Amino acid sequence: MILVEKISRSYENDGDKTQALKEVSFKINSGEFVAVMGPSGSGKSTLLHILSFMDRASSGSYSFFGEKMEDMNDTELANVRNKEMGFVFQAFNLLGRSSVYQNVELPLLYSTILPSERKSLVEKAIKDVGLTEKTYVEAGRLSGGQKQRVAIARALVNNPNVIFADEPTGNLDSHSGENIMQILKKLNEAGKTIILVTHETYTAQFAERLIRLKDGEIEVDGTVKDILSKNYESK
Amino acid sequence: MKVNDSLKTALAGLRHAKTRAMLTMLGIVIGIASVILLMSIGTSAQNLIISQVQNIGSNLLFVIPGATQGSKFSPPASAFGIIIKTLKERDIEFFRKDPSIDKAAGEVHGQARAVYSNNDISVTYTGATGEYFDIINLEAEKGRLLNSKDDKSMEKVVVLGSEVAKKLFGEKEAIGKNLRLKNNSFKVIGVMEKKGMSAFGADLDNNIFIPMSVAQKQMLGIDYYSAAFIQGNNSYSIDFIKSRMTSILRQNHSITNPDKDDFNVRTQEDALAVLGSITSVLKIFLASIAAISLVVGGIGIMNIMLVSVIERTREIGLRKAVGATNADIMQQFLTEAIILTSIGGLVGIIGGAGFSFLIYLGISKFAVADWTFALPLSSILLALGVSTTIGLVFGIYPARQASRKNPVEALRYE
Repeated sequence: MILVEKISRSYENDGDKTQALKEVSFKINSGEFVAVMGPSGSGKSTLLHILSFMDRASSGSYSFFGEKMEDMNDTELANVRNKEMGFVFQAFNLLGRSSVYQNVELPLLYSTILPSERKSLVEKAIKDVGLTEKTYVEAGRLSGGQKQRVAIARALVNNPNVIFADEPTGNLDSHSGENIMQILKKLNEAGKTIILVTHETYTAQFAERLIRLKDGEIEVDGTVKDILSKNYESK
Repeated sequence: MKVNDSLKTALAGLRHAKTRAMLTMLGIVIGIASVILLMSIGTSAQNLIISQVQNIGSNLLFVIPGATQGSKFSPPASAFGIIIKTLKERDIEFFRKDPSIDKAAGEVHGQARAVYSNNDISVTYTGATGEYFDIINLEAEKGRLLNSKDDKSMEKVVVLGSEVAKKLFGEKEAIGKNLRLKNNSFKVIGVMEKKGMSAFGADLDNNIFIPMSVAQKQMLGIDYYSAAFIQGNNSYSIDFIKSRMTSILRQNHSITNPDKDDFNVRTQEDALAVLGSITSVLKIFLASIAAISLVVGGIGIMNIMLVSVIERTREIGLRKAVGATNADIMQQFLTEAIILTSIGGLVGIIGGAGFSFLIYLGISKFAVADWTFALPLSSILLALGVSTTIGLVFGIYPARQASRKNPVEALRYE
């Protein structure tokens, strides 16, 4: 379970203080598919970075499956990221000159999984996203949709509890985008918790729950169906 | 991250930027090759000098007239051209009578023009007796050496060093021919085998030898020696023989205060120690110059690694996002730097050794036949150690820069 209690995040730039998140609180249960939406500057990326242990809150408390972020050092955070989290980015973030296999294997290099067990895990993850025939192709040579599938395979290879997807369809055509969302939906049905940051209503529809942010605060938190059917207007 | 994975990752990183990696390595290759080359040549030169001194004779001691200033290895006054007249025949006679000494002989030197036919060269002539050749282990390649009869009867005969014979007579037979030395005619009775340098650094092959009596009385007009050579009796230790010689000289020269000795007794070991220390210092000096290029190479590595860290900011962000710790990132970049410098070091060692071998082929064929090829294991280990250390030292800063990157900012880097 993910438990966020009154977390705030502020940045200081040349003396100017920006409050990106203001005392945000919510709970996400294991196995949920949550979309985080909001206009630019609403704080959704900041929230995703904190939830994925890549950034720390300025105040408040964050517990990830019982582990409190504020009690952990950077190495412990890295270990949790490696074991419990998977990442899918808008810009794919693949090693372009490495093969699909090497890209998917990447998280395992930093894990305690034995090298002898890696091959089957990598091959299974690549198979799950339907790219077996591209296993040894350079990642840079793939299409956008294929690249994002490689990124999903990389996010899956460690069998994490939670997958964070930051605008995963942002750089894809609609067909490829739908394909990627279908994969994420299936993963959720298989028990994975998915936290999706998006600005596209269509993409958010694949989630069950929607948290909408505005100016660093939660504007609305409810089911996607309810919020989108009421055509909820921002305050 | 496991070492094996770290190596694979680092090698992949380098493979993706081959040209840059090779250019970066070049500085280390040149630096290490220079160190190896200079140390190899220095060791070959040291070996040559020491072997030539050792060839001169075993159980050898020598007396140099004049006091030394400073340490016992400081040169005596005679070495600076000051004429010291204290070493006389009487000293040599006393040496001969001592049971710890088998043979003793004086030595004098002079410079003259040696003329044969149209060939006119400047030579150093040495006044010598038969015993002199026995002590410093010189042999004639052709003809015979000087003997006591030549000395007693003041025969105008000469034994030529191998180089002098070549310069004066070329391929012709020298034995039996007459050459002119200071307007005196000397008959050539022998030609020496090739010998190289003496313990004093004199080039024996460019020397000629005439009877001591002729040199002292007719050529130089003196009654003293410029040096004396002694072959000790093997039943006695070198230190004992040295102390006996010192006692004899002090007694003959009426010296009661050891600080006022007007002579120096030195052993072959002393000479080897001096030569060894001189050549060692020279070797270190040469290697130090080469080491400067290694530092330059190291700075090159650091520079390129810093550029690489900036170029790969997003990669660093990604690795951190998927679980790499700061230590993992640091390990990856340090491994890359160490691989670069280690491979550079290996290539440098092979290159330096190859160059040194070519130089050996050239010198042994055209200059010094006794020149040997030397590649001390210590220099190879040193070069490998230094190159790896350079990778470590100059790789630390860029690796730290990489490891400290914030994953969020790194992933956003354009």
